[in-house]
Amino acid sequence: MNSEGLILFFLLGLTLVGFAIVFSYFIPRKSENLQKYETYECGIPTYGLSWIQFNVGYYLFAIMFLIFDVEAVFLFPWAVVMKELKMVAFIEILIFFVILGLGLMYAWKKQALKWE
Amino acid sequence: MIQGIPIQHFLIVSTLMFFIGVYGFLVRKNLITILMSIELILNAVCINFVVFNKYLFPESLQGYVFTIFVIAIAAAEAAVAIAIIINLYRRYNSINIENINTMKY
Amino acid sequence: MSIQSFLLMRHELMLIIIALIVLIAEIFTPDHKKGIITPLAIILFSISLIVGFLPAIEGNLFGGMYNTSSLIVLMKNILNIGVFIILLQSNKWINLLDNRIKISEFYILLFITLTGMFYMISSGDFLMFYIGLETATIPIAALVAFDRYNNKSAEGGIKLILSSALSSGILLFGISLIFGTTGSIYFKDVVGMVSANDSMMILGFIFFISGISFKISLVPFHLWAADVYEGAPVSITSYLSVISKGAAVFIFMIVLYSVFNSISDIWKNLIYVIAIATITIGNLFALRQDNFKRYLAFSSIAQAGFILLGLISGTELGMASVVYYVLVYVFSNLAAFGVVSIISFQTGKENISDYNGLYKTNPKLSLALTLSLFSLAGIPPVAGFFGKFFLFTAAAEKGYYILVLIALLNTIISLYYYLMPIKAMFINKSDNPIQTFKTDITSKIALAICLVGMVLVGFSSTFFETILKYCFGI
Repeated sequence: MNSEGLILFFLLGLTLVGFAIVFSYFIPRKSENLQKYETYECGIPTYGLSWIQFNVGYYLFAIMFLIFDVEAVFLFPWAVVMKELKMVAFIEILIFFVILGLGLMYAWKKQALKWE
Repeated sequence: MIQGIPIQHFLIVSTLMFFIGVYGFLVRKNLITILMSIELILNAVCINFVVFNKYLFPESLQGYVFTIFVIAIAAAEAAVAIAIIINLYRRYNSINIENINTMKY
Repeated sequence: MSIQSFLLMRHELMLIIIALIVLIAEIFTPDHKKGIITPLAIILFSISLIVGFLPAIEGNLFGGMYNTSSLIVLMKNILNIGVFIILLQSNKWINLLDNRIKISEFYILLFITLTGMFYMISSGDFLMFYIGLETATIPIAALVAFDRYNNKSAEGGIKLILSSALSSGILLFGISLIFGTTGSIYFKDVVGMVSANDSMMILGFIFFISGISFKISLVPFHLWAADVYEGAPVSITSYLSVISKGAAVFIFMIVLYSVFNSISDIWKNLIYVIAIATITIGNLFALRQDNFKRYLAFSSIAQAGFILLGLISGTELGMASVVYYVLVYVFSNLAAFGVVSIISFQTGKENISDYNGLYKTNPKLSLALTLSLFSLAGIPPVAGFFGKFFLFTAAAEKGYYILVLIALLNTIISLYYYLMPIKAMFINKSDNPIQTFKTDITSKIALAICLVGMVLVGFSSTFFETILKYCFGI
């Protein structure tokens, strides 16, 4: 990769992130009070220890995240050789995505994505 | 190739990790800790593959590719194991293997 | 990829497509129509079973990662038949009200594990082998823990997943050492570099063997087997003890014969010891079991030990006898499990002492169980005798007389415990025998296939000759 591309990439990344930060600064209505500086700002002050058992509902999300996150590992080798292998690799990765999508639909159908 | 670090150092680390993992698997009582020991074993294997590939066979890619698959499969294994552990906890109210002893010789 | 290469992988591709179709059906059918999934899965699988019998093409794909030959296709067909029988046997159980919501999961996981085994048998390098192995084991753990409200089921599941994870970790460490010495993970490159003088190679090889031994549950690595077999639902137990073990034996044989052939002196000594230990310990522990599934677990450990006798010879006759024995073992063990699963389904009883007086109430079932136990023990009229006979011949041909003698002595011990349930059924009296009941039609068909297979494979010499023909030259 030549250095112009790298610089362009860097600048683009900087602009996008900066845009997101600045934009979100302007949109919301602002109000300030003391409670906003609490650790949890959702009204009730914290109580008890944080060494408690968490709701088992979290584990489904954790497992789903684990699976779908790790599948991304197969995209890196594909991305490296995509130019050389052209269409074949593209179709193969599409099949991979379709199967992953079916898995996601299955999880959806089984209401694993629903928060209770 | 990393300057100043011979291959033996990496291999010693990975072998130590492997046997710490096996030790942990055998002596630990908590199921989650046992799962962590297995991750140690698999990571030791990953280090082995990458180091052999980098130091001994730099023109090959097979070790790296193997590592990627090991990582992905380890995640799948952990997911199934955790799901079963959750179910076990519902049934036994414990994840200590000493309490999970319905079947024995 | 051309059409030709799809034809080469037809076993695996068919199974993947079937699994995906069942998954799509699961996603898009409403809950009250889940009943259609069972016939859908069975019909699709029988199509794939028939397609599997089309003439085999030899060849390899992906630069040697995937091999296929007539022998490998034959092995896959044997496993396919076994799974078909299991599908028929499990039909009634899976349609119970409790299992209604997870019918398609059962089929999807079953087909995916089978795909993994097929890829494992066909593998031409360690990566494909490892992926196949893991694809074959991880879903089985989920299947073992299938009964959500049964303590034993969950316990069996965790025992299986943890011990298989440890074993595959050990196996991987071995593969990494082999990669370190040879610089390749392809079988065809490794073959030339294997030498008995390289200590790292030998270390890797030993790690590798212990990893596979876990899967076949050879003694010192057999401790998970009995617990997992007892905890799992009966259909899954039969799947584990027949299909999973058969696939592992096949790949064990292929790897030993094709990759590590040049250090055969080393692995022959190793297998010599393991075989004696496996047969003896399997038999001795089977003597004192009362739970039928546990009993069959130890019996299958002992059977795996007998299979090693064929492996140790290293000849074509040995290979053929191993494949033949697995074929016989599929029929006879599935028949035994079939009867156990029918009785367990109808009455919930799984102990041998519950079988007292079964002949009075259910004569057909007890005759079927008797035949299958005769076959497992190796008593002449049924195929099991010929299977053991060929294994012993293969080992004796190479001069392992002491090993064969020990195996023969063990056969006599095994006769005792194989006759125990038969005595219970025919001779023992019981105040509270199992009631007479009608067996469902699919289980009957499955049992009939097993019995016909057991007799036919034993009496018709074409089976063994065909296998021997395919075994030419690995």
